[in-house]
Formats: sequence, structure tokens, C-alpha cells
Amino acid sequence: MNKALRNPLIYLIFVIPAFVLFLAFFIYPVFTAINNSFTSWNGISKNINYIGFDNYVTAFNDVAFWKSVRNNVYFILFSCLIQVPLIVIFSLLIANVKKLKGLYKTAVFMPSIMSTAVIGILWGFIYNPDFGLANEILGVFGVSPVYWLSDKNWAMISILITNAWQWTGFYIVMVLAAIIAIPKELEEAAAIDGATGFQRATRITIPLIMPIISVVIMLSIAGAMKAADIVLVMTKGGPAGSTDVMATYMIRYAITSFKHGFGNSIAVLIFVFTIIITVLYQVLISKRTERIEY
Amino acid sequence: MKKSLMLLMTLIFVASAMLAGCGKSNSNGGNAPANEGQTTTNNGGNEAKVNDEPFEITIRHTQVGESKKFRLALLEDVVKKTQDAVPGLTIKLDAVESEVNRKEKLRGEMAAGKPPEVFDVFGSPDAALYAKEGLMLDLTPILDELGLKDKFTTLAPFTVDGKIYGLPIGGSIEGYFYNKEYFEQKSLKTPTTLDELDKLAEAIKADGKIPFAQSSKDAWIPLMTTNNLWSYYAGPEITYGFKTGETKWTDENMVKAVAKHKEWVDKGYYKKGELGFEYADMRNQIITGEAVMMMDGSWANSVFRDPAQAGDMVGKIGFFNMPPVNAGDPVVVMQDANNGYGFSAAVAEDPRKLQAVKEFIKNMWTDEMQLRGLKEDGVLPAMKMDLEQMKTTSDDALMQDIFKAVSEIGTSFPAFDALVQAEVNTALSMGIQQIIGGEIEPAKMLENVQAAQDTANKAEQ
Repeated sequence: MNKALRNPLIYLIFVIPAFVLFLAFFIYPVFTAINNSFTSWNGISKNINYIGFDNYVTAFNDVAFWKSVRNNVYFILFSCLIQVPLIVIFSLLIANVKKLKGLYKTAVFMPSIMSTAVIGILWGFIYNPDFGLANEILGVFGVSPVYWLSDKNWAMISILITNAWQWTGFYIVMVLAAIIAIPKELEEAAAIDGATGFQRATRITIPLIMPIISVVIMLSIAGAMKAADIVLVMTKGGPAGSTDVMATYMIRYAITSFKHGFGNSIAVLIFVFTIIITVLYQVLISKRTERIEY
Repeated sequence: MKKSLMLLMTLIFVASAMLAGCGKSNSNGGNAPANEGQTTTNNGGNEAKVNDEPFEITIRHTQVGESKKFRLALLEDVVKKTQDAVPGLTIKLDAVESEVNRKEKLRGEMAAGKPPEVFDVFGSPDAALYAKEGLMLDLTPILDELGLKDKFTTLAPFTVDGKIYGLPIGGSIEGYFYNKEYFEQKSLKTPTTLDELDKLAEAIKADGKIPFAQSSKDAWIPLMTTNNLWSYYAGPEITYGFKTGETKWTDENMVKAVAKHKEWVDKGYYKKGELGFEYADMRNQIITGEAVMMMDGSWANSVFRDPAQAGDMVGKIGFFNMPPVNAGDPVVVMQDANNGYGFSAAVAEDPRKLQAVKEFIKNMWTDEMQLRGLKEDGVLPAMKMDLEQMKTTSDDALMQDIFKAVSEIGTSFPAFDALVQAEVNTALSMGIQQIIGGEIEPAKMLENVQAAQDTANKAEQ
């Protein structure tokens, strides 16, 4: 058997099925999308006309496209500047509770296993201007009703809050696992040296879990760039396109109008933008936090 | 030796697994004829015998859910009749939610060139595009053969270059549903001019009620009002000219129509926050008595006649057409039939499947079935029908109001989305939401729509 495992052909045989699937379901669609993005294909026709970079020019000259890019940026900023700090804070709190830790973990994880459609309906009730929980609470403080999903000034933030609620628990569980993996001796030694809880958290725990926080940020960026379902179920990109992200822009302006060539160019742009941002993040920030030695 | 054998066996296993995965089943869904010819000769004798070898066709329908149970029952009866009439035929019913079928499943199948034999389809722009690509069966000779060609109110949404590619299942008109009980209590009368409608809305608003129920999260809902308004102000024929470039969205009468809609929004005739409301919300506004009138398609009658959905409001809802600008002018109403069934072009290659399709059409589009759809489901017939005959199907007051509204129509027109390109519809949808949100003025909004129209027209040349 050892000899068999030394035979490269055996490895090749084991790799081929996965490689074929990878080619068929990842590489091939990516190259097809790139190819189609240079066409005016309607998604049905056998005749495909190549039009060069026209689709990209159309997208870059469209104000609505840049608005959708801006909304993707909002998603990223909200994730990194608000959601990630909350994830770290809640993880530290849950890691240090003595009782019912399992219950807290389950409770925060629950939204991430719910379907986005269900979450859309649930938060639709919360944001209802007449009887929604959000306005009920604001009403207690004498604030007049807010039209969360129908006012363009509030619709985007409403979606961002809902999206954060859905995914925060998932990331908390990831960060919790990292915190629990930190050797207890480190904290105990710091405690003996007189470090407070806050000092132990900021000087020991957080620096040691930076690699996992870095992964959480990267996953958040990738999630923010491909966000679509939560927008569709909550506002359908409205009112008047004010909550469109790149993916919903693609559906509204390309797919529903039988402009698959244009749709593919938007898909390629999402792909390229995501790669640029994640590579930049990896090179500029993430690399510095990867090596941890206890 | 053992290792070589193991290597060989592994190779065979992987190769066979891959080949099996790449294989193509011939059991169903292929384009191969179910059987060549309709008859076979019996042992060389002279007597021709009907070929009753089993074959299958698939009908993709969208009759999903409680609200469509009557339409599903009707379809099942047609399926049974068709199966009985065609030896060996089994019809497989494939139920898919309407939007999923329209936007995803059917499109994917069309792109692959393999739609089901019979499928639910929207006339414009969908069927027109599929037909141009040669994916839909030309029904013109079949309709001639069955004597059905001139039996429909309109086949325009399914007609491409003079050929018919689909048949509408029902028709509809757009108008106002209203709270009859409230009108009686306040001694209000249905309006005969737009000015009277305006005054009516003003009085209802002054009474603390919402004059018009409207949900604008989906732009097609407020666009029903806009489309009917511009058909009065600029004339219904203006919409036909946008695609050809003969008319412009920026026409001053179009601006007046959009300005009228905006005026109603600004006066608070619609509930605040309408841009966030779902379609069902506006019906609830009527059912709860919060709002008094609602522009919607006649298909909504099924909601107001169903005690499970409308509760105490059953029997208290009426219907009237949007009135003309001047008293005595002809009533202009959107009357359309854009949803129905289409058939795969591949059916023409198989005589037995073609026979099954003919039989399906023969059984589905009859006076009996159209009247049954009207009686059970409240869907107006797509086929021409005597008004008195329609009236006999229901003594329900709401249905009688709808029949009266149909009888009052002076000029009808198809919904704008059947006459302009999809991207123009997108621009218009965006524009009306901007008008409702107070972001844009009517003239500027229509300039944007015209720009989208010019681009779409240029792309088609």
C-alpha cells in the first residue's frame, strides 16, 4: 500500500473527480461569464454578437451603477466598523460567563440558520411603520414614526442592521472558538500580575485572536460584495433603487431586461472588485496579524 | 500484480462514474419523437390501428397555492379530457411558482433550447423573444384548423410578425375597487369625470380615511394608475408610438398625466410610506376599512369575494372604471390578456405530441371553460363572449359591477409593458417611485424614460 501511495498516478486518480468538478462549476462559469460580458447576448439567442467593452462602458457611465457600488461599500464599512467590534465584544462577554454559556451561544447562532426570506418577513414586521417594534420603542421616547423601508434615508441602514443581526451570531461562534483555544495560563498569569479584566481582554485575548478576526473581516467583505438576497426580500432594491447593491442592480437592469451580456459584465465587475478588495486587505492588513506564537 | 489490479480497478471505477455522469437519459424530456406516425399496420392487414404506445408530455403551470385552486381544478379537468382523447398519452403536471417560472426556470430551459411541451408564459416581452428565437410553436395553422383564430378578444401580446405563439388563459381590466358601504353611508356617488374622482378623494381625506389604497414597493402597482391617467390625457394610442419613435414620453400631455399622479401623492391621497408596502398590504387597507378606493386589476375580485380573505367586507365592495377627463367622453380602460400557455417548437417534430397539443387547445379554450374560469375564479374571459352570457355566471354584486364596467368601455388598450421594451419599463418603474418619493419632477422623470426609450430603440435597429 505504501508503494501504491508513492505512485503519482494514484494521487492523480483521487484528484481528478474534484478537479473536474472545480473546472465544471467554478473555472468554466467564470470564463463563460467573462466571455459573455463582451457580448450583447439576450440569454436565449444562438446568435451572439461581440461588442467589445461596450457593456463595461455602459456600467461605468451609469449613475445607478455607482450608487449600487456605494451601497456595497456601506455594507463593507458597516461590517468592519460596527459589526466586527460588536462580534468581539459579545464573544468576550459570552466567553467569560460562568452559567448558560451554551444557551447564549445557541441564541446568538440561531439567526444564521434561518432563511433570509424568513428574516425579511420577521424584520418587515419590526420595521412596520404602524405597529412595528422599532417605532413602538421610539414612540416611548416621543419620536414620531420612522418609515424604515420606504424612506430612502432609512432603508439602507435598516437593511444593514438586519444583515448584521443575521450574521453576527455565526461570527461570534467562530471568535468564541478562538478565545476558548487560548491557553488559560496566559490569562491566569496576567491576573496574578494584577491585570484587570479589561486589560486582559485588550492586551492578551484580542491580540491572540487577531488571525480569526482577520478571517471574519475577510468573510464579511466577501459577503458584503455578493449581498443580494437580504436586499431583495426587504426592499427589492427600492425605494427607487436607493438600496440597490451591485447584484440587485444586475438583476434589475440586466437579467429582467433580457440583457445577459450586460448582466455578465456586472457579475465580472463584482468578481474583480471583490478580488481587489480582499487582496488589498490581505496584503496591507491581514499579513501582519497572521503569526501568533504562544 | 495486486497493486496493478487495484490501480486498474480504480481507473475503471472513476472512468465509469464519469461516463455515467455525462450520459443522457432518453426516458423523458428528449426531443426524440415519441413515435413516428400516428398509426401502425396490424400484421400486414389492411385495418389501420391507432398507435397507443405510451408517451408523455409535460405541462408547466403556475397554479400553486390556495388562491389558484379553482384554476388548478380546471386545468386538471382539461388534462383528463386530453388524456382520454389521445391514446397512450400521459400528461405530467409540473407546478412552479409564477415568478420563479417566468424569471428563472423557463428562461434557463429556453437558453438550453429545451422548454417543456406546454408552459405558462407571459406574452410580452417574453413570448415575443422566445418566438423570435424559434423556440415556440407557431399556433396559427392549429387555430385555423380548430376555428379559434378570431375567437379571442386580443392575441396581440402573443403575436409576432403576424404569427400567433401563445394563447391567453384569461383577461382583465383595471379600475377602482371601492367600499360601497362607506359610499352609501356618506351619500357618495361613483365619479363620471376625473375632477369628480378628485373631489371624492378630497372628501374621503377630509373624513380621516385614506382615499386610495396603494402599495408601491413593486412599481407596476402605482403604474396602473399612471398608465390609465396618461391614456386619458395623451390618448391610449400614444403608447404604441414610443417603440417606433413616432411619439415621445416627454409629450406635454404625458407630463400632465404624471403631474396628476404626483398631485394626488402630494395631497396625501395615498397612505404615507407606500413605497415600502407589499401588494397584499393595499388589499388589507381596503378590507380593514382604512382606505376607501383601490386601483387594481379585475382579478382582485376573488380576494373580495372570499370570506377567508375579505372577512366582513364580502359583499361590500364595488368596482368602477377610472372616469374620463370630460363628462361624456369615451371611457378608456386597460384591458389585457398577457398571461397564458405557449408550446415548444419541438412539438412540431412529433405528430403524436402535436396531436396532444391540439387536443389540449381544443379542450382548454372553449366557452364552457372560459365561463367556468369566470364563475369560479372571477377571471374575465380571454375569448370573445356575449356580455349577457357572462352576467349569467354570477349574481355576485361585485362581479356584476365588473361586467357593467366592461360594458362601459369605449376604448381599451394593452398595458404599457406589452408595448415597450423591458429596459423602458425599468426606467419608468424607477421614475414613478422617484415621483412618489418626491425626488423628481414629472418632466425630468419623463426625460429619463425617453432617454431609456431612445437607447432601447437604437439597440433594436
